Parts: sequence; C-alpha cells; structure tokens
Amino acid sequence: MSMATLKKKLGRVILCLAVIFICLVSVFPYLWMILVSLKERVLVYQPEVWFFKPVFDNYVNVFKNRDLGSYIINSAIIAALNCVISLVLGSMTAYSLARHRFRGKEKAAFFFTFIRILPSVASVIPIYVLAALMKVLDTHALLITVYLLFNIPFTVLMMRGFFEEISLEIEEAALVDGCNTLQTLTKVVIPLAMPGMVATAIFCVINAWNEFTYAMLLTTFRTSTVPTIVQMFKTVTGIVWGEMSAVGTISTLPVLVFAMLVQKQMVRGLSFGAVKN
Amino acid sequence: MQDNSQSLATTQAKKVPQAKRQSWLKRNPHIPFVSPTIIIMTMLFVLPILFVICISLTNYKLGASLGQIRFQGLGNYIRLFNGTEAGFYHSVYLSLMFTVLGTFLQLVLGMACAMILNFEFKLKAVAIACLIVPIAMTPSIASQIWKLMLNQEFGIFNYFLNNTLGITVSWLDVNHAFISVLIATVWQYTPFVTLMLYAGLRSLPDSPYDSAKLEGANSLQMFVYITLPMMKRLIILCSLLRVIDMLKTFDIPYVLTQGGPGSATQFLSLLIYDTGFGETNFVSRASAMAVILIIIVSLLSLILFRAISRAREE
Repeated sequence: MSMATLKKKLGRVILCLAVIFICLVSVFPYLWMILVSLKERVLVYQPEVWFFKPVFDNYVNVFKNRDLGSYIINSAIIAALNCVISLVLGSMTAYSLARHRFRGKEKAAFFFTFIRILPSVASVIPIYVLAALMKVLDTHALLITVYLLFNIPFTVLMMRGFFEEISLEIEEAALVDGCNTLQTLTKVVIPLAMPGMVATAIFCVINAWNEFTYAMLLTTFRTSTVPTIVQMFKTVTGIVWGEMSAVGTISTLPVLVFAMLVQKQMVRGLSFGAVKN
Repeated sequence: MQDNSQSLATTQAKKVPQAKRQSWLKRNPHIPFVSPTIIIMTMLFVLPILFVICISLTNYKLGASLGQIRFQGLGNYIRLFNGTEAGFYHSVYLSLMFTVLGTFLQLVLGMACAMILNFEFKLKAVAIACLIVPIAMTPSIASQIWKLMLNQEFGIFNYFLNNTLGITVSWLDVNHAFISVLIATVWQYTPFVTLMLYAGLRSLPDSPYDSAKLEGANSLQMFVYITLPMMKRLIILCSLLRVIDMLKTFDIPYVLTQGGPGSATQFLSLLIYDTGFGETNFVSRASAMAVILIIIVSLLSLILFRAISRAREE
C-alpha cells in the first residue's frame, strides 16, 4: 500500500468516526429518554443498567392519569391551524415580494425579518393583559393568533426564495394562455412551489408544536399544549422521570417521523429560502 | 431576480394601456397580497411594544384594578439603573455572555459539522436524520431530560465521567449551572445552524476550488480564502438568527435551572418572568426590563443586519 492510499484510508476512517460521533451526540438524549421511559421506577436511578425488561406502565399512566391525550389534541389543533394560516398569508406576501415591484418593498421585507427580535417574555406581558381584557385567555384562537408572530415572518423569509426560483416565463405563458391571476397562482405557481411549502410547513409545525413561553402563560388547563406538561411532573417527591420521558417520547415522535420523511425538502428548503436571500 | 420582476412589471404595463384608466388595484397588485400580513404583524408586533412601554410607565401590578393604576413616569427605569433592582446588571451581563459564547460555539460546531457532512459518504441521509432529532425535540421537554442526565448522583454524565476519569461534577450547582444551560442550548440549536451552513456549502460553485487545487492550495488555505469569503453573508445571517434567539432564551434555563442556583443563570428573560409573573407580580417593573431587553436585541440585530447588507453589496 502506498503512502497516498494509506493517507486516504486514514482520512475515511476519521471521517467515519466523526460522523458517528455527531450522530450519537445528536440522538443520545432522545435515546436516553426512550430508555428511561421503559424503565421501572427504581431503575431510573441506576444509570448503569442498560438491559432490563421493558415496562409500559409509564405510557399507560400518562394517558390515564395525566390526560396526555387532550394535551396532544390541543397542540395538534393549534399547530395545524396556525401552520395553514401562516402558509397561506405568508406565501402570498412572499410571492408579492418576489414578483411585484412597489415602493417600500425592501422595507417591508426588513420589517418581517425584524419582527423576530421581539422576545416572547416581553410581548407576553401586553398580550396577557389585552387577552384578559378581551376574555380570550386559555382559548385555541389566542395561541393560534399569537404563533403567527413567529411563523408568518418565517414563511415569508423561506418562501420568497422559492418563488424567485420559479421562472417567470412559465407564469407569463399561463397568462397568455388565458389564465387569470388566481388560476396562474393555483395551477402553475403553487404546484411548482410545493417542495418549499412542505419544508416551510414542517418548520412552522415544529415551531408551534414546541413553543413554551406563550403556552405556559396564556393557557391554564383547557387549552394547554404538550410543552407545558413538563410543569406537571414536578411533585413533592421530585420529578416523575419515567412518565416525563414517556411524554417526551410520544410528543416528539410525530414531528420527528414527519421531518424524517421530508428531510430532503428541509435541506433544499433552507438552501432556497434562507441561503439565497 | 431583479430583472424578472422588472419584466413582469413591463408586460403588465404593456397590457394595461387599452383600458386607459387603470384601476387602483391594477396599479398596486401587491396590496391584496401584502396587506393582510402587514396588518396582522402590526397588531402582534407594534401594538404589544407600544403597550408594554405604556405599562412600564405605570405602577401596574397583576390583579390590580384599573382605578389603582397610577402614572409613574420613568420611575421603573430609574430603579433599574440606580441599583435598586439588585439583580438587573447581573442578568444583563449573564444574557450577553450567554449570547456571545453560545453563538460562537454554535457557529464553530455548526460549521465543522457542515464541512463533515459536505464530504461524500454512504448513509448521509441517516446522519441528517440524526441531526433533525434535536431540532424536532421540544426544548422544554429536552431540558428535563438534560436535568436527569446531568444529575449529580444518578445522571448518565457523571456515571460516564466517574467510570472513565474518576471524577464527579455537580453540573447544576452555582459554578456549573451556566455551563449546563449552555451545553443544552448548543445541543438543541447547533443542528439548525449545521443544516443551514450545509445547504450553503452545497450551493457553492466548484470552479474556484478546481483552480485553487491546480495552483497547489491545501485544504486549510481553500477553507480560509475561498469557503469563508463566499459563505460570509450566510455566516452573518446565521449569527443574526442565533444572537436574537440566544438573547430571548427562556424555556431551556427555565426548566433546567429556574434561574438558579441563587441567580447563577438568572438571564434577563427569566428576571422579567420572575418579576412579572413568578415571585412577584410587578408587571410594570417587568415591562421596564422587557423594554430594555427589546432595545438590546434591536441594537445588536441592527448591527448584524447592516453587516449582512454590506456583505451583499460586496
């Protein structure tokens, strides 16, 4: 074996190890959570035990005693509706920023990016007071609306790049063929922008599904979402780790599976949306 | 892209003259597209900011009736700066330190991971799938798991450390709580930076690298003189996004340490929460801090915004 091939081989080995290391670090907390969720209560305090007979009591308990089901339903309603509204309104704006020429366009684009600076602990104070006055605290509609605050700007940022990628000739051809503006949008532009929409939708759902601060302060019990459930596991005897882990395992799973299925679009989405802008 | 939008504008302009009086909508085709979001965003962004400024000028406490509210002028702000509010400077300092360290770590690690991903290897989809796990995991729940893993007596971290190096670290005590929050945050958000930088690396052209190779440049030189300059704008964009989120950080420290022990991880966001909703109900004082936080985030992000537009012009 020559020196060069040896060096090449060595490089591959190092690369391989680095990739394995990155993967392990990324998934370890999730794997550990699954492990803990399947352990009996005493075993939780023994990290050295890796192999044991799994028990599913924790999973049964969180649904029976902790009412996890209703938390998941609340989260699903809020994330889904918020995502749809953000996608529709945000894409319209993104399309306009990509295609139309108007005064103050870049200012508008800047405004959408700048909105991100608003800290949730800062805006939750006035929103809480206003919502209390309007008697809409602890409703789905309130969280759906508030989450637009971060998901619409995100959609605008991501989708603008996608719309700019769509060639103008195709749109013009559709107009020449007698389509009106709305038909051009629904039959030509939207199908072409679909990969971007899917990628944006995942991030919107993740953002809304995982949001904690507003959910904690603007809901009490009727519309509490999954992230707020962490507070329920603090008992006088310490945190109920097993059930806590069962909740985490279940609640992350749908988003995770969905994200895995469309991971190609996610990376593509980032390169078109955020990278090119 | 500029050319495209111009040509659409001209085709539209050509079509219209037959109907001499253009309708207002035809002249402003963007209005129906942009106005709904602008209105919603103004309601959700501008109004709360104005309102929080108003509250900060009063003596409003949670649960106080409207009649008890008095105008106080800048009293709440003076309290913050003359040292009456003991923990304020400490919290600002913590938040800034956390932001600088966290952003730096996420960018360096994110860049390293992105460079590794950029090599060709089998099962790359699996590696990317692994990176999606932290992105998808709910931060508040992930922080609970970190709390378990970092536990001094029965945490897996100390189990490993004990067996390999024979040391035990009390991760969540006064001296280490800050580092623990930092570790959990970096773990949670580095993958996003990685994917973004990876997407950027994929879209770089090959030709500069080919000619550099011909001239005998090594990989380090190519990274410093080709990759970094071409990625400059994206790197600044990533730091902008991360700086903003790091300053706003709330859920991870709230769950992992509750700002403690003592005030070791009492970031500004946590101090606002404690003042307004947690320990005391002084919403007006919390509002004054919130205004300061908004000002800090705005200033830092404006600096980075300017850097981005300068990088774009280059």
